[in-house]
Amino acid sequence: MSFLNKLGLGVAPTREVSRPYGTNGGARTPAPTALAAVGATKTPQMGESTRLSNGLKEFLWNLDGLGRGTLLDLGPAWQTTLSFFIERGFRVSSEDILREWKEFLTEEETNLRQSGGELLETLDVTPAGRAKRFLESNLQYPASSFDAVLLWDLLDYFEPSLAKQVVASLTEVLRPGGIIFAMFHSKKPQGFQRYRVVDSTNLQVIASPVLCNVQRVYQNREIQDLFSRYRTVKAFIGRDQLRESLFIK
Amino acid sequence: MWKKEEVKSQAAAENAANSGASAAPGLSNPRDANFAVPVAPRATSGGAMISQGIRIKGEVTGSEDLYIDGHIEGKLNLTNSKLTIGPNGEVKADVFAREVIVLGRVDGKIVGRERIQLGSTGNVSGDLQTERLAIEDGAVLRGKIEIETGKPIQVHSEARGVAAGASGKISTPTLSSGTTAS
Repeated sequence: MSFLNKLGLGVAPTREVSRPYGTNGGARTPAPTALAAVGATKTPQMGESTRLSNGLKEFLWNLDGLGRGTLLDLGPAWQTTLSFFIERGFRVSSEDILREWKEFLTEEETNLRQSGGELLETLDVTPAGRAKRFLESNLQYPASSFDAVLLWDLLDYFEPSLAKQVVASLTEVLRPGGIIFAMFHSKKPQGFQRYRVVDSTNLQVIASPVLCNVQRVYQNREIQDLFSRYRTVKAFIGRDQLRESLFIK
Repeated sequence: MWKKEEVKSQAAAENAANSGASAAPGLSNPRDANFAVPVAPRATSGGAMISQGIRIKGEVTGSEDLYIDGHIEGKLNLTNSKLTIGPNGEVKADVFAREVIVLGRVDGKIVGRERIQLGSTGNVSGDLQTERLAIEDGAVLRGKIEIETGKPIQVHSEARGVAAGASGKISTPTLSSGTTAS
């Protein structure tokens, strides 16, 4: 067990690969060919499935007519997702924040090991302290610089204190009236998956190597508390234990 | 300031002649068979190469295609050429080229006038500005994307975040000064 696991951080081994998650799930349909965008047409591969996304549909509806908006995608840099929004006139920023969180934890673990425990005396290793240090070098954008944020299901994988601080940071970088698209698992997922936009109503679900373990399965009340500064909250519950939520600032 | 060691310019030029920067994959679709990004330099005429183990601090400018598998810190300006950063390449610099293929690591802004391509091993921390962008699954990007269609992209004159001195200016393929071979 790693040092950080002992501290309760639970970084998953990278070679663990999740199984395709609920490929026969109710809302999911056979994968269509992805939308061509910025020269890309993406054909679904093994371990990929598509799911109907009412949340995405509503998200896009809210962004309709925005013109040249700005979008922050906090998932991996998928060609199809980026192209989808770029083709619609968005200026897109990409930051795979979960990967960065994992790299941050790995680096901290290494530093703590190398220091032989000396750092433990000076470094704030509480979850809140770690979250603060992480956000000093991540999610650094000017205030009110984005119209929309794709948060995906990342909050489930962050320590609760980090999730809270991430939401606070996003609230700062989001313009008034801006919108966040997030997803929450209703129960602990069997595997780890990433998402990309196929078209305006479908998301592609991609089974991926486990980056981090799920830290928390949020209840509705907890989600509302997390986003208490937002004026509108909409939720769409899928049959695949995934809740899609929209938060409008 | 820097170690003035002999620059392996001849070797680089010969390498370029023998192996050179690879031909551009012409498609933007990462899943397309023709997308195959180069994992090793391939022979083309007129390209230069900075191979693994070579470290350059300063400014690299030129008018020929360049393949980088070493370390560059400073500024890269190949406005009318193709730049390929190989899987072992590490660039801490703002990059300006006609076409940029990233298989290694780049920390800085990339301006690819015609195209930028991130291979599955590519890792970019910086903004991208181009007309066409191709991202292969697995590529890591942290930055803003600006697609500029049909608009001339200006080359900025200041390197960002690195201490590139005046004496560190290098032109490809001669690689004449300011380098440290390691």
